[in-house]
Amino acid sequence: MTVAITRTKAEQGLSQTFEAVAPRLPGGPAVAAARRSAIGAFAALGLPHRRLEAWKYTDLRSALKVALPAAVADERSLATPAQLETALEGLAGLDAYRLVFVDGVYAPELSQAAALGGLTFTPLAARLLNGEAELGNELLAGSQREAVIALNTAFMSDGAVIDVAAGRALTKPVLLVFLRTAGEAHLITTRNHINIGAGARATLIEAHLRLPAAAAGQSNALSELRLGEGAQLSHIKVTLGGEGESHVSTGLARLGAGASYRAFQLTAATGLVRNGVGLTFDGEGGAADVSGCFLGRGSEHIDSTLVIDHAVAGCESRELFKGVLTDKARGVFQGKVIVRPDAQKTDGKQMAQVLMLSEDAEFDSKPELEINADDVVCGHGSTSAEIDKDLLFYFRARGIAAEEARALLIESFIGEAIDKVEEAVRPALMAMARDRLAALTS
Amino acid sequence: MKLSDEDRLILDGVRLEVPKGQVHAIMGPNGSGKSTLAYVLSGRDGYQVTEGSIHWNGEDLLAMEPDARAAKGVFLAFQYPMEIPGVATMTFLRTAVNAVRKQRGEKEFTTPEFLKRARAEAARLGMAEDMLKRPLNVGFSGGEKKRMEILQMAMLEPTLCVMDETDSGLDIDAVRVVSEGVNRLRSKDRAMLIITHYQRLLNYIIPDRVHVMAGGKIQKSGNKELALELEKSGYAEFRSRAA
Repeated sequence: MTVAITRTKAEQGLSQTFEAVAPRLPGGPAVAAARRSAIGAFAALGLPHRRLEAWKYTDLRSALKVALPAAVADERSLATPAQLETALEGLAGLDAYRLVFVDGVYAPELSQAAALGGLTFTPLAARLLNGEAELGNELLAGSQREAVIALNTAFMSDGAVIDVAAGRALTKPVLLVFLRTAGEAHLITTRNHINIGAGARATLIEAHLRLPAAAAGQSNALSELRLGEGAQLSHIKVTLGGEGESHVSTGLARLGAGASYRAFQLTAATGLVRNGVGLTFDGEGGAADVSGCFLGRGSEHIDSTLVIDHAVAGCESRELFKGVLTDKARGVFQGKVIVRPDAQKTDGKQMAQVLMLSEDAEFDSKPELEINADDVVCGHGSTSAEIDKDLLFYFRARGIAAEEARALLIESFIGEAIDKVEEAVRPALMAMARDRLAALTS
Repeated sequence: MKLSDEDRLILDGVRLEVPKGQVHAIMGPNGSGKSTLAYVLSGRDGYQVTEGSIHWNGEDLLAMEPDARAAKGVFLAFQYPMEIPGVATMTFLRTAVNAVRKQRGEKEFTTPEFLKRARAEAARLGMAEDMLKRPLNVGFSGGEKKRMEILQMAMLEPTLCVMDETDSGLDIDAVRVVSEGVNRLRSKDRAMLIITHYQRLLNYIIPDRVHVMAGGKIQKSGNKELALELEKSGYAEFRSRAA
């Protein structure tokens, strides 16, 4: 007997879209074959739905109603430098190596690829066209297992391939801007491969933004990050996709011995966001901090799902997520820490805290520990609460009006998370968050 | 004045007058209603004033929100100052000072003006300048928190200072520093109400009047010698009277 699963309109549409766009996607025959294999896997998997534990609270099958046409290079629209500056907000003033992708395609005229110091950059599309194998076995395997990775492999149009040579310390952050500009709604699919050599140090900021006049669409972003022995990477992801935007991202990080990975996600003003992070410690003595701040209003939905795999001994992981939710917004936190049998002396902590500004907001929190070793220190916690009345009174007793006191308290609440971001970038993030908070509390 | 929270009567007919230029102390056993009096003066919610009124400078405080009272000169030094992670002390201070100045119709301080004042005041209280950059009260010792309260009091220039157990949790050196800070602020235009459990603080801040509170009432008033008597005899007499 054969049982065919009924596919939704969007699922069928994605497969059809692929057929239509496949000849125009970058890559040689090997890449084309990988894309075809991935869309085949997707057809079998379908969009992730609530019966899959990792997607329990973010049912893409019901959330994504339509398949949008895929953005491709030969239809790339243009953004002016002034539009870019405005979209960057506080990040505009940051002294950084800027690499800009417009509607999923590298935009050299807005980028500073010539001035990069200490790193090499190639647009992913160029690498795929040159026939270089940019698809590691791991990602190919992932494309068979995970629908969102399969879709990323099938549709990826461009992205950044960055290598920082061993021992190099970048003097400026790398700012990757993914800007949506088109008037028509598109599916934008990007992929980055970031390789930080042994002992090298870098800061990477990834900003997903939309011009005010652009149509809301869907985006699927994937970053593969490899940190060599003793490498240090600070990875900041800003997602301000705009109303109605659906943004699904996957971050896959592997850390060599003694490597340090500090990730921070600022997410606000986006219809639906799924920030998935999968992190594996490959060598002993690694340290990871994956934290974030999310702000939701209206019917926005923000999901932060992490799987941190302590595969080896003596590594440390930290997670701190702070959210503010109002109206009917929904926040999701799933933080899974796996401690393998050999991973003694693991130190893992996770915490998710949400301020609820309305009764209709919802926060689903699922911290998880899967411990298979006995000599470990692991902990998790989760809170959701209203603004502390005692704190509010303290401010008001100092002459600060209720509204301003509330704003300062909310700011202080998320500030605790944003404080994790390095000092040079912190003010820009705080300003962006403050702006969105004003919309939440007005 | 009478006051209750939910259905419990906490203050049962308090009559108190504190003229400008004077320092009054309120002493009493635990649960006598001292802290409640401090809260109701500064406008914390959760209490219902069932009878009476509170006037300061001829204005009805009960009709005002806490922030409006602060602008009218009421300042409460908290027994347990709040820790506010994520808000730099300086940011908090400047926001508060400019908020009350604005409400008082005074010009807001520019950042350099403000910084100069805050630094000078911090130096007088023996506080490291670095503390002003740290999140408010976070990781501060008990003594540092109380100094921070006095710093805020100095910066906000209140006319009615209510100090709730300002000496609690302080060692003798910290009591002296905090008391000196308070004494510097004594002036003919300012009234102070010092709420304390022990007489110790009053060795440093000499009160003009001392009131004994128990069972939600002022049981006895006298001059500074009353505090010394209480130190010897305890509150037993007033406890039984209140019961």
